[in-house]
Amino acid sequence: MPANKKYLSTSFSQRFAKITAGFIGGYAVTVSAFMMLAYWLDHINVLSTLRFGGFMLWATLLLLAFLFRNGWKAWGLYLAITLVFSAIIYLNKMYLPIF
Amino acid sequence: MSNRIYNILFHTHTISGIIISAALYVIFFAGSFSFFRDEIIGWERNESISEDFKLGTLDLDRMLDTLDARKELYGRDIAFTKYFEERRINVSLSASKDTTATEEARQRGFFYLDTDTYQPYTYRSNYSIGEFLYRLHFFAQLNFWGTSGYMLSGFVAFFFLFAIITGVLVHWKKIVSNFYVFRPMASLKNLWTDAHTALGIIGLPYQFIYAVTGCCLIIGTTVMSPAIATFVYDGDTKKLYEDFGLSAPQTNFQAEKLSELPSVNAFMARAEARWPDFEVKTVQVLNYGDANMQVALEGTANHRVKFAGKGEIIYHASSGTVISAVDPLTETSYPDAATAVIKQLHFGDFGGKGLQIVYFILGLVSCFVIISGVMIWLVARDKKHIAPAKRQFNSWLVTIYLAICLSMFPVTALTFLAVKVFLQDFDESRMSFIYQVFFYSWLLLSVLFIVKKDNYFTNKMSLISGAVLGLCIPIANGLVTGNWLWKSYSLGQDQVFFIDAFWIVLSLTALWVASKLKKSPAARPLKSRPSHLKDGMDQSLISENAFQHLN
Repeated sequence: MPANKKYLSTSFSQRFAKITAGFIGGYAVTVSAFMMLAYWLDHINVLSTLRFGGFMLWATLLLLAFLFRNGWKAWGLYLAITLVFSAIIYLNKMYLPIF
Repeated sequence: MSNRIYNILFHTHTISGIIISAALYVIFFAGSFSFFRDEIIGWERNESISEDFKLGTLDLDRMLDTLDARKELYGRDIAFTKYFEERRINVSLSASKDTTATEEARQRGFFYLDTDTYQPYTYRSNYSIGEFLYRLHFFAQLNFWGTSGYMLSGFVAFFFLFAIITGVLVHWKKIVSNFYVFRPMASLKNLWTDAHTALGIIGLPYQFIYAVTGCCLIIGTTVMSPAIATFVYDGDTKKLYEDFGLSAPQTNFQAEKLSELPSVNAFMARAEARWPDFEVKTVQVLNYGDANMQVALEGTANHRVKFAGKGEIIYHASSGTVISAVDPLTETSYPDAATAVIKQLHFGDFGGKGLQIVYFILGLVSCFVIISGVMIWLVARDKKHIAPAKRQFNSWLVTIYLAICLSMFPVTALTFLAVKVFLQDFDESRMSFIYQVFFYSWLLLSVLFIVKKDNYFTNKMSLISGAVLGLCIPIANGLVTGNWLWKSYSLGQDQVFFIDAFWIVLSLTALWVASKLKKSPAARPLKSRPSHLKDGMDQSLISENAFQHLN
């Protein structure tokens, strides 16, 4: 029995929002999260973990985006998290430089 | 889990699965054969090597001397790498740093060298069916635009990871009880569902490992590093490479010719005496013949002693002093260990032949999980309330998928046969011959199956034709090389023997499966349902409705 359609989003814009939020937004959150940690921990170890751990986090974020009722809210949340992480990266880079 | 979440996860599992299914099947099928890449190559060239063949047992001085006569090595950096278990090793030469060197000595070089005959081979003349299948499993043949093939295979692996996670979540509640359910006599849909769930759960750790390590190995760096290079390293890729140990060693060339060349064999012996469990994979001779000549030996710890150990030792050649040393048993860094673990888990090279055979079987099981998933998708949508045009489209799609996927077996067997019978010479045409035989026969057979449009026929014919061709492989090998199975066995040529025996076992299994195939089991009466389901289990599990929410 295929999934019950009553629970799935049917509009194109919602589908588009969820897929892009999970795929692009999820990627941005993943990479910025690891980058932020790189300044606090050993950066070589953190960045080598990104090579495999990054895909696990990214796949999870891709999945979570589909659970939002409104796909644009998923976009909003992922963008907000990325911005917060980016701000921390910016401050880290000034006050905790690696090089 | 609420009904809403359940249905959403179920739908994403279905859609991501159906999109990647055919590509993933090709990856798993070709990848499973790639476990035996080295054996296939040893068989194909009739150059079986023994298990204790190592760089350390070669006469490196004589090899360097021979290359010096051919290529003028003075001032060059030379690297010998043994990536695989085969007689030919990779040789790369840098341009000579000597400003007075001849035009020829200032050209870089790369080739394969037979360590027995010192015969060099180019990439094309060294090509093989083993290399072909190995590269097919990450779509290297689809690199039309940059690394488009690698990217495609990498993202298929990524969506495979996604499908594994959603699949486990969807089956979570019934994961234990469903594991024991197999209803081959019930409806076709139940048969496919039970097979998909049970085998999916058995293979789960294996498939999860392959999804993650596959992503990491093929697109880990390309996809993850651009932002890192731009924001963390401010575009300084040199520093980035240095941090991750990717930059080539830099040494000063003193332009002072040594009167007597130090022995590289002696350094190899010294390194092995220092760390008895060190297996050298790369020998680098830097500034050959110069006063600042150095010998760098890089390798891993023997798997029996340590799972993920990576070490290196660099000697100054004329004085014999150690410039730097990283102990493979005690000093492996986190990034080196992580990379080593990922590679070994993916290549399955840490547990000998037995483990690779288990991995091969699990690889074929994964192929079956993929196919059964596609069949569920088809059968679940083959209902009266679905529009006829949609049902038509679905059935065509599955016919095409099955034709492409299942014909890989006879096509692979045919290519093995063709390579053995028609491809005796190691010249430049080798690569294009293998491409043509494989891809044209694949196209032809797929089109035939698609036109016939009978899934039962596709299945049965690909098994039978693959098995018949497969049984011919050891015979062809015996006729062409005289190295019949019993002969290669008694001579201890394990690689040749293994592939011949492998094809016999595989073909007999395929014949056995083909003989068991019955047209449409759903047509049989339901009363032949196995009794243990009635007696040993809750009655509610037997009724079709019990699985409604799951399917």
